[in-house]
Amino acid sequence: MNDKNIHPDQIYIDGLLQNNSNIIQSIYKKFAPKVKNYIRTNSGDDDQAQDVIQEVLITIYNQAKTNGLQLTCPFDAYFFLLCKRRWLNELKKSSNKEVTLMEENVSIDESVQEMTFQAEFFDEKQYLFDEMFQKLGEKCQEVLKLSFLTKTMEEVAEKLNVTYGYVRKKKSLCTGQLTEMIQQSNRYKSLKY
Amino acid sequence: MNEELYITFENYFNNEMSQEEQLEFENQLQNDDDIRQKFEIYKETNAFLKTKFSYETLAFKQNLEAISKEHFAEKEHKKTNVIAFKPWQYAVAASIAILFGTWFYMQNNIPQYGDYSTPETAMFVERSVGDVNLKEAQNAFNTKEYKKAVASFEKVTDLKSPELQYFYAISLIETNNYLKAEILLKNIKSGTSVYKDKATWYLALSNLKQKKLEKCISYLKQLPADAEDYDKAQKLLKKID
Repeated sequence: MNDKNIHPDQIYIDGLLQNNSNIIQSIYKKFAPKVKNYIRTNSGDDDQAQDVIQEVLITIYNQAKTNGLQLTCPFDAYFFLLCKRRWLNELKKSSNKEVTLMEENVSIDESVQEMTFQAEFFDEKQYLFDEMFQKLGEKCQEVLKLSFLTKTMEEVAEKLNVTYGYVRKKKSLCTGQLTEMIQQSNRYKSLKY
Repeated sequence: MNEELYITFENYFNNEMSQEEQLEFENQLQNDDDIRQKFEIYKETNAFLKTKFSYETLAFKQNLEAISKEHFAEKEHKKTNVIAFKPWQYAVAASIAILFGTWFYMQNNIPQYGDYSTPETAMFVERSVGDVNLKEAQNAFNTKEYKKAVASFEKVTDLKSPELQYFYAISLIETNNYLKAEILLKNIKSGTSVYKDKATWYLALSNLKQKKLEKCISYLKQLPADAEDYDKAQKLLKKID
């Protein structure tokens, strides 16, 4: 990963990660119109375009924050392909709608494709983690949430009115439970292997 | 579920093992496929939760939502074209202008944010060691260069302390970045630090600056009588009413 050339458009990734409003605004200004246009000419409207763009930017952010993300292709192509594929998925889901596709025959650069698959793979995993987290008991959800949002485990213990030892143990057991739920899910198996 | 296993994982992550234990554990990881897979998922789960439950992620999502709304609303505005005025419409326009004029005049009687915001000097980097960005943020803050302060705060990796969040939030209010500021302040307010009441006071001032008077009043009323800014809050309350 490190040996590949990082594209100068990495500034957009870093800007998202740093929650830099100027950069986020410029992403909207420069790259959103093309996506809007595409969705409009393919059975969608502006509201749907707004959702797709927002979801894709959150995926990029999450990926950058969790694993680090090094862009090896132009942001424009990467972002557009992610939006496009997400929209096509949406259309497939509600396939009772009549779909007319304006498909342009452009060959897609290999590194764009690779980066896009990476993002979609990450997104699917994220979705699986989220779903399993929702299945945890209420107490587990609370302990995990607090232990990441609070500075120290001592403070978490204080907030929950339990001992430090209990909170520590509970945190590892709840993460363990989540681990086993994910390991046993069919979707994880199909994702991983 | 093998409870011991996960307690071991956690100890390993937190570097709370003796050298012997660590060697034994790493050996186990190499030789047991199932444990290794569990360990990998555990690690991923941890990373996933860390991203999901972080104030930075929450702030990013809120900021993104606001920018997205702004962007899509802007486009709709541009669609409305300029309409030629008929003579009687000029009269209407004139009366509206007068109404606005009066409204602006009235607005001037409303107390201003600048009259009330008197932030203390930031002194979170006292010793010569520490994050360079923090030092820059502190200097920019104290010389009232808030844009610069925000830029430096954005580069700081560890912004968990309520003190840092407090000064960061004030810089954000000064640069009209209210959403993010208020997320930080609400977080401090719900905590137990000494900045708890200060955060409430600045939540009120942030709303004052945005002319959201009802919200401002509601925060002012939440300040306890022993808060440092209580007297100022009472004066401000009287002026707004």
